[in-house]
Amino acid sequence: MFGYRAGRHAHYMRWENEPIRGWMSIPFIAHAHHVPPETLYGAIGLDPQKKDRRPIRRIAREANRQTDDLIRQLDAAISQIHPHPKPPGSKDH
Amino acid sequence: MRELLLAAVAQYGSPALFGVVMIASLGAPLPIVLVLIVTGSLTAQGAMSFGTALLAAGTGSIAGDMAGYAIGRWGGSAAIARFAHLMGGSEKMEGIQNRGRRRGGLHIFLTRWLLCPLSPFVNLVSGIAGYPWLAFLAWDTIGVLLKVAIYVWLGNRFSDRVVALDSVLGNITWGFLALFVAVYIGRALVKYKRTTDYQKRLAG
Repeated sequence: MFGYRAGRHAHYMRWENEPIRGWMSIPFIAHAHHVPPETLYGAIGLDPQKKDRRPIRRIAREANRQTDDLIRQLDAAISQIHPHPKPPGSKDH
Repeated sequence: MRELLLAAVAQYGSPALFGVVMIASLGAPLPIVLVLIVTGSLTAQGAMSFGTALLAAGTGSIAGDMAGYAIGRWGGSAAIARFAHLMGGSEKMEGIQNRGRRRGGLHIFLTRWLLCPLSPFVNLVSGIAGYPWLAFLAWDTIGVLLKVAIYVWLGNRFSDRVVALDSVLGNITWGFLALFVAVYIGRALVKYKRTTDYQKRLAG
């Protein structure tokens, strides 16, 4: 069972985008999604020059915003640069 | 808690890594594999060097393991008596101590990097068994460095897939653990059957 689950996760690793979590910093998310960090800083209204390494949960708390809102904005900014890849076997309609 | 620890490592780097790994080695249920994978990803991003990661995680882990060993070794007779009660009496405790002395090195080495969830228990048992501390330190250091090197390297290699990689490695670790438990129970059953057959033959 554990082997099957490990194999399934490994198979889909290539096709699934890394989910954005509250503990991740902007440079971390930028690296995971192969986008320039400046784009992500800009998407949530931060100064790109400051190279902020705070986790987004903390950024949200200090800006009196919801973490989920920031994640949605970051997801939208990433989607504009990289449309989501399709898993093997899926067909275009 | 999990998010807090990962955020601390991602933001503060090696001092946070040292602390988290040491607490996990003492037996706290922390996501240590994910922490090491995230550290590997940080090395790929240039936020931490591989050597610093190896040093911080390695020394943190060894410090926690040695503390667990020391609790078992020098925790006093009262603590040992308490464990004896929990583990099925003083005879069983003596058996654990003998096995610990005989095969301690292999157990210590394997639980550092392959069967990680068992390592705090093995630290304690090694101490209780009176396994020589220098040999414990040697096996622990080899196993810990191997563990840190493997997970940090994997995190570096798959630095853009840390959450998915953690799922894969978590399942592999639990798979090995389930296999280990199955083999252990199987051996115990075979031994039990042989003993009862022998007793029946003697009685007959």
